[in-house]
Amino acid sequence: MAGGERTMSTAEIMVEIAVRFAALSFVAIGGINAIAPEVHRVVVDVEGWMTSAEFAELFALAQLAPGPNAMYVALVGWKVTGVIGALVATIAVCGPSSIVCYAAWQSMDRLRESRLRAVIQRALAPLAIGLILATGYTLARGADRSLGALALTVLATATLAFTRVNPVWVLLVAAVIGAAGFA
Amino acid sequence: MGLLGFGGVLPWARRVIVDERRWLDDREFAELLGFCQVLPGPNVVNLAVIVGARTHGVTGALIAVSGILLVPVGLLLLIATFYASVASDVLVQNAIAGASAAAAGLIIGTALRLLIHARPSARGLLVGGAAFLTVGVLKWPLLWVIAVLVPVAIIAEWRAASAR
Repeated sequence: MAGGERTMSTAEIMVEIAVRFAALSFVAIGGINAIAPEVHRVVVDVEGWMTSAEFAELFALAQLAPGPNAMYVALVGWKVTGVIGALVATIAVCGPSSIVCYAAWQSMDRLRESRLRAVIQRALAPLAIGLILATGYTLARGADRSLGALALTVLATATLAFTRVNPVWVLLVAAVIGAAGFA
Repeated sequence: MGLLGFGGVLPWARRVIVDERRWLDDREFAELLGFCQVLPGPNVVNLAVIVGARTHGVTGALIAVSGILLVPVGLLLLIATFYASVASDVLVQNAIAGASAAAAGLIIGTALRLLIHARPSARGLLVGGAAFLTVGVLKWPLLWVIAVLVPVAIIAEWRAASAR
C-alpha cells in the first residue's frame, strides 16, 4: 500500500488506521505520547497523509485542548478522514489497551505482592522515558523550522523540567510569541 | 463522569474520584495509578476502566471510558474545525508554529523530569537510550523495538534483582 500509485479509498484508509493504531495500543508503554514517533512514521513517512510540521501542529492543538493529552491521535484521524476517522482512531488506540487493563485488574490481587510486578515496573520505566524523549525529538524536528522556534522548544523544555508552571501557559505564551513573528 | 482538565486530566480525576465521590481513598488511588502506568495505553483511560469495573463490571468500565473520552474528543474536534477555518490566516499560522515548537519542548521536558525523578540504573539508561535512538533518531518501527527491548529489559532487571 505504501507509496503505491493509486490513492487509497476512504474506507481503506480507515481500516489502515484502525489496524495500525490498535496494534500500537498494545505497546503504548508510558502512555499514548510514547507512540507518537511511530504514528508520525506511519502517517508522515510511510503514507504521506500529512507533513511533519502539520503533525506537530495537530499535536500542539491537542495539548491545548482540555482532556487526556493523548487525544492527538483523534486529530490525526480527523485530519485524514474527518470526524469518523477521529472516532475510529480513538477507539482503535484506547480499546485494546483498555481490555488489557481490565484483564490485568482482574488478576491484580495476585499481582499485587508479586516480585515480578515490581521487576516489570522497574524495567519498563526507563523504556517509557526513552520513548517519550523520542516523541519530543520527533516533534521538534517537525516544528523547529527557525532559530526562534528552536529557542521556544529549549525554553519550554527548561520550564517543564525545572519549574511547576502549568504547561498550558507555556503553550499560550509561545503562541503569542509565534504570532508576533518570532517562530 | 465526563471529566475535564487542561494539560492532562489526572489532577481532576484525583479530585473527583477521591475527594468528591470517594470511590477510592488516596492510597488506593496512588496504587491503582502506579498499576495503570505499567500497562499500555492512556493512564487516565486505564484508571477509568478500573474505577468503572469496580462498581459495575464490564458495563461500568465501558461507561467510564466513554465518559472520559466523549466530551474531550467532541470538544477537540470543534476546536480543530474552528482551527481549520482560520488556518490560512498568517497570524494563526505563526501562533500555532510557536505553540507546536513549545509543545515539543514540553514533551522533552516531561521526559527530563521523569528521568530526574526515576534515577535509573546504568541498565535502565542503556534501555532508555536504545529506545530513544532506535525509535526517535533511526525511526525504526516501534513494534519491533518493543518486541526486543521489553524482554531484554525485564530479564536484565530480573537478574539484577536476583543477584541482590
